[in-house]
Amino acid sequence: MSHLPILLVDDEEGIRTVLAITLEDEGYPVDTASSGNEALALFQAGRHPIVVTDIRMPGMSGVDLLREIKRIEPKTEVIMISGHADIDVAIQSLKHDASDFITKPINMDVFTFALQRAEERSTMRRQLEEHTSNLEALVERKSAQLVEVERRAAARQLFEGLTASLEAFAANLDNMSMFNQMPMFVSIHNRNHEVVAINDHYRQRLGDLVGQKSWSMFDDLLNGERDCPVARTIADKAARRAEHVVRCINGNHHAVAVDTVPITASDDEVELVLEFMVDLREAEQLREELRTTQHKYQQLFDQTPCFISVQNRDFTILSSNARHKDGLGDLEGGLCYERIMHRASPCRDCPLIKTFEDGEMHQMETVITNRKGEQINALIWSAPIRDTSGEITEAIEMITDITQIRKLQDRLTSLGLLLGSTAHGIKGLLTGIDGAIYRLGGGLRNKNDARVEDGFNDLQHLTGRMKQTVLDILYYAKKRELNWKVIDVAAFALNTYTTMSAKAEAKNVLLELDIAKNLGSFKGDASILASALGNILENAIDACNGNEPDAPGNVLFKITGDANQIAFQITDNGAGMDHETRDKLFTLFFSSKGIAGTGIGLFVANEIVQQHGGNITVESEQGHGSTFIVYIPRELSVQV
Amino acid sequence: MSRKILIIDDDPYIVKYLEDILQDDGFATCTASNVADALELLKKEKPDLITLDLEMPNEWGPRFYRKMIQDPEHNNVPVIVVSGLSGIHLAIKNAVASFKKPFNPKELLEAIHKALDS
Repeated sequence: MSHLPILLVDDEEGIRTVLAITLEDEGYPVDTASSGNEALALFQAGRHPIVVTDIRMPGMSGVDLLREIKRIEPKTEVIMISGHADIDVAIQSLKHDASDFITKPINMDVFTFALQRAEERSTMRRQLEEHTSNLEALVERKSAQLVEVERRAAARQLFEGLTASLEAFAANLDNMSMFNQMPMFVSIHNRNHEVVAINDHYRQRLGDLVGQKSWSMFDDLLNGERDCPVARTIADKAARRAEHVVRCINGNHHAVAVDTVPITASDDEVELVLEFMVDLREAEQLREELRTTQHKYQQLFDQTPCFISVQNRDFTILSSNARHKDGLGDLEGGLCYERIMHRASPCRDCPLIKTFEDGEMHQMETVITNRKGEQINALIWSAPIRDTSGEITEAIEMITDITQIRKLQDRLTSLGLLLGSTAHGIKGLLTGIDGAIYRLGGGLRNKNDARVEDGFNDLQHLTGRMKQTVLDILYYAKKRELNWKVIDVAAFALNTYTTMSAKAEAKNVLLELDIAKNLGSFKGDASILASALGNILENAIDACNGNEPDAPGNVLFKITGDANQIAFQITDNGAGMDHETRDKLFTLFFSSKGIAGTGIGLFVANEIVQQHGGNITVESEQGHGSTFIVYIPRELSVQV
Repeated sequence: MSRKILIIDDDPYIVKYLEDILQDDGFATCTASNVADALELLKKEKPDLITLDLEMPNEWGPRFYRKMIQDPEHNNVPVIVVSGLSGIHLAIKNAVASFKKPFNPKELLEAIHKALDS
């Protein structure tokens, strides 16, 4: 399979070259650029469906480039490469509609997987687009045919109303121009039963019969002149309708419906007769074709796996397909923004508004609620429907449910991030462990007790961190069932405290325990809740890392409770947090600890507490430490 | 006088490890945990060799290297890359050696001696 072209942007020459070579080996056509500006120039010329860009570059940053490219061509798949400390920027990129981001160090498997997904999305988008334009063509054809039929009906009406106004017309027999456009045989006869004028269609199919007798074109007049519609109209002075067979120039015979109308002069005598003939077979064929087309169209309309509706300029839903009714309810006659989006006014980014403005197809991605009350990620496409004069009167709206795709994508993106971030973290930890063992070994050989102790403490701390990292990953990778038991609050608190006290001591932080009396018990999963509290305690201890010697680190672990819930309070006098850090605290992969944090711990701690039906509050001031309070309800009945 | 090695790494445990190994082998050491500090130490301490981590907060290793070689006084100090990144041998083309974490301390010392003796 041939791959879609890629534009690769990175200011580091080494990385750029290696990636380009690897991608070309995989069969991707690759253009490379060393800066945002160079990339934009290449993009303008090449319109690469996939762009891969580093976030940190001098001059135009990756995010600026992303924004520019999305402005030029919103359909472009842009994959961001982010460094370890770029999680903020990565989140910002997602807001600007980046398709994916991968972290340095670049794992080629993760990278090629991201590219495959980008390719898939791009291809799917193109197919959807083709699908929509096919539908549009079908709608156009159908409308054209409808208009044709209506034109015939209109001609008939015109003809029926003509009699009254034709006296003036009779004075000017040459003027057949208005009939020339009509898709039927129109002729005018005088009271001597002679053809005096015919339209172009008549002339082409039946021959120039001007001057011939009014019955000369018919092949089925058993009684000759007496059966001739024109003659009978003149005799009766009344309009009539009949069916006859005419002979064409090419020798074929056609059944026709014949309408004749007398045009009376002022003396009340019939002056002229206007005759219209419509080829019955042609009309029948047309009706059949229309029926088939309508049927096919309806089938396509109903069976396309999307919610399709036709809306007018007020966004009234004129018609909707079966899936639309099934998924969103029968909303025909209602307003799209009211009934689907639950808004008082049209959506700001509504693709239909744009389609009505410029006649092009547009798209938008949003979240809508289906009939069952479920939120679905929806890709919305719009295409214009024009009348015969080219005016856009209605628009077709196609909603595709991409919830599963998005879910999968989110999951894969976060797994990719997780892999990148933890692989690196573990390598660092392993090296640190090597170092501690080296120190321990050296101390043992030289009988240097201080060195032995130092090495041992490091080893203890590093293996503890390794264990926690692995547990965090396991917890994230697999939702585990909670093992509910009745837990004695005081014993549980003491246990948690003891586990952490060695760590605190190693870091010269004073960890104090304050358990209120008669706290009783609560229901929960002790081991998993202990790891959540441990995580917060460890963060508190780490937060005291930078404390000055005259204000040594101090962490207070205080447990109180009332009839309904237990409160585990953890207060430190460490670095504290700014507002932004506090807001993002429980987000996956957010870490303020640089290389020392994986950004999983607090995310998992929060999930655990929520699983217990509890919540965590945070107060913090930069430079003055933080207070975390974990509230856990006592009873399962109030737990989620 | 013992030769001096500048250790650049943001992980304090790894800095400690490298200090142990190098001091036990008779080297003097100085350490920096970011690019800005490292550039300052480069001028002040005039190290004979540098071990350089690639991934650090703010600026990463290759940027240190680029800034270093722009300074004619220090642009020929040999650099050994020590990093967890894959494909590290490509990051700094003129590095005398590169070691992937976790590394073998014996091999690291051999590479340092070889670079200093040549």
